Amino acid sequence: MASTILKRTSFSSSSGLRIGGVSLRYFATKVEAGTDIVAATPHNVSLQKARSWDEGVSSNFSTTPLKDIFKDKRVVIFGLPGAYTGVCSQQHVPSYKNNIDKFRAEKVDSIICVAVNDPYVMNAWAEKLQAKDAIEFYGDFDGSFHKSLGLEKDLSAALLGPRSQRWSAFVVDGKVKVLNVEENPSDFKVSGAEVILKQI
Amino acid sequence: MERVANRSRSRSIIKKSAPSRDMAPIAVGNVIPDGTLSYFDDKDDLQSVSVHSLAAGKKVILFGVPGAFTPTCSLKHVPGFIERAEELKSKGVDDILLVSVNDPFVMKAWAKSYPENKHVKFLADGLAKYTHALGLELDLGDKGLGTRSRRFALLLDDLKVKVANIESGGEFTVSSAEEIIKAL
Repeated sequence: MASTILKRTSFSSSSGLRIGGVSLRYFATKVEAGTDIVAATPHNVSLQKARSWDEGVSSNFSTTPLKDIFKDKRVVIFGLPGAYTGVCSQQHVPSYKNNIDKFRAEKVDSIICVAVNDPYVMNAWAEKLQAKDAIEFYGDFDGSFHKSLGLEKDLSAALLGPRSQRWSAFVVDGKVKVLNVEENPSDFKVSGAEVILKQI
Repeated sequence: MERVANRSRSRSIIKKSAPSRDMAPIAVGNVIPDGTLSYFDDKDDLQSVSVHSLAAGKKVILFGVPGAFTPTCSLKHVPGFIERAEELKSKGVDDILLVSVNDPFVMKAWAKSYPENKHVKFLADGLAKYTHALGLELDLGDKGLGTRSRRFALLLDDLKVKVANIESGGEFTVSSAEEIIKAL
């Protein structure tokens, strides 16, 4: 399976990179194995925990700083193009939800799902998928988290606008140990739970 | 139903807010701008449609909300139009269109949460382009929503705006179904 796993090592950011016909445009993916996720993102980048509007009001619409998510923890995080879309709902999230016990056996502290959606949509979607017990859902509503890691993707052709790649990563104390990014956001080859379980 | 604020019987109720940078808010007497909205049809195919093609030659209510799956939108504004759809139709309204700055997948999921809905069409203005053309954007970045739409309800007759009930933000006073029925 090694050939299907795109373990990113450093590459030139000037010319961009073509992988499988998909151009990485302006710059190559910034995040790679060894990146410190907290250090790589600007201070004002944070994520919004999936919540209902009332919870938002009572928490004063607080955001979650990345270090609260990653510091001193073993985290498996996966990102996907959009809540309520096909592969995301039918394959990507279930793959992690169904393997929760295996992740716990590997002493993974949290499993995180992130997408460029607002936290209320993420919350409604997580409830629909009955996945809130196993997985923590976060909204990257303005795409700033993904942009700062170079994982953004323009999906205007699919009428989704600026979104993210489909990806997964294993992050220990903020440092990326493993990163898997699909060539195409509609693929589901390298970013599933089974793949990353073998890499932890 | 919500008690709406007391006001004069003016047909155009626009609450003052910070002026939008480019477009003045849509108003009575304007011709509604054209734009593209998207949705999933009965066969689950993604469709894009021009607003003019939906509204030309017809009496149409176009109402907008800040966001799918947020309470006032979900629990008060939208149900009001769903519940009174038959009444609106009996008063000559041909179609009831709901627009929000959300993608069509989210709008489809949100529409499904109203199984009783027969007439309201849920349309996606994913990049806020149409909302911008209407001059009704609202910055809700501090709530984790980004650029959205003010809450509003318009009555269109062959593309001409006859009634424009526009909130200054997301509050729910003049934009209800109840309020626009009075104008029919």
